[in-house]
Amino acid sequence: MLRAQRGDARAYEELVRPHQEIAFRVAYVITRNAADAEDAVQDALIKAWRALGRFRAGEPLRPWLLRIAANEARNRRRSAGRREGLALRAAASPGEAAPSPEEALLNRAQRERLLGALEELPEPARAVLAYRYLLDLSEDETAAALDVRRGTVKSRSARALEKLREAYGTGA
Amino acid sequence: MELERELRDLDVEWPQTPELRLVLGERTRRRSRRPLYAAIALVLVALAAAFAVPQSRGAILRFLHLGGETIQFVDTLPPAQERPLGEGLGTVVSFDDARIVVPGLLLPQLSEQPPLRLSGNVISIVFRHNGEPVLLSAVRQDGSFLKKLAGGQTSAEWVQVAPNSWGVWLSGAPHVFFFPREPARLAGDTLVWVNGTTTYRLEGPSLTKSEALEVARSLRYPRKG
Repeated sequence: MLRAQRGDARAYEELVRPHQEIAFRVAYVITRNAADAEDAVQDALIKAWRALGRFRAGEPLRPWLLRIAANEARNRRRSAGRREGLALRAAASPGEAAPSPEEALLNRAQRERLLGALEELPEPARAVLAYRYLLDLSEDETAAALDVRRGTVKSRSARALEKLREAYGTGA
Repeated sequence: MELERELRDLDVEWPQTPELRLVLGERTRRRSRRPLYAAIALVLVALAAAFAVPQSRGAILRFLHLGGETIQFVDTLPPAQERPLGEGLGTVVSFDDARIVVPGLLLPQLSEQPPLRLSGNVISIVFRHNGEPVLLSAVRQDGSFLKKLAGGQTSAEWVQVAPNSWGVWLSGAPHVFFFPREPARLAGDTLVWVNGTTTYRLEGPSLTKSEALEVARSLRYPRKG
């Protein structure tokens, strides 16, 4: 970190490379468009580099980077002014083996329905659930990406889960 | 809890994470005069070497590396389309954001500023000069993004834009221009030059060499407001 803060670009690259994928996905949840998410993260990495002097050594880098990437994604979505359709899809193969092909198909359809219900939520609800449950971000990281307090993450998650439950149906 | 577990178990198909480029150099944070002189020397060497290479029947006849732009002289041009100058230039950005991508960015002095656009690490602006549309693109010298292919019917002339700023005037037959993430485009007469750490490219369908140099010499840091 010290080397990067002194202007060593290679040291900076080593620092941020492990976080590029999660930053891209955090941005993608907001932009719902891969090209815009890519541009957002690209710009975020440059901005983070230029702001690195203000970063407090000893603090975790990932939430700070995610905050910048999410901000860039929000700016980009505002300037693009468009709303993409369904962005996320359930993967073709489920995590655990299904007892029969029919059941596997039903499981897949159920997961697609859950993702569909999630996609239809308003952005604050959709983003907090995507960050907490799909990307498995910590509460602190989610708070940074959403630019809200940690307490807000808890209350927003609870409300978002309620909305999702209404849309998707309990237990199914 | 059931719903939370179902959400956690969702296996989502995320788009593939792109290869993000950290186009950064020491120059971004520290500036000295030495890189400027080194850059000019490199341009001179590259130009001299390029024009010294004899014509051959090989696919690539000559290379010109000019700041963030590479010009290849080839015997056969690849297929390319004629498209409007302002197409595919990226999203609109503020001047402050544009300056983060291209720190040395200078712009034409206009009564009404058209939007700046960002694609990859290239900042572009389309404006009117003598009533005709002109495209100005700028890339940081370490960006290495812009690429051109020129055939034998395109001539390249070395020009001096300012005491410490050199460039090439490409004229004659159209050349093929590659902009980030866009299909190849046929481009007309173009001035490419390096100013400090920034490479500029200026193209207009009816732009003459003297007009291009006039525009290049008029670029300034824009007034606020």
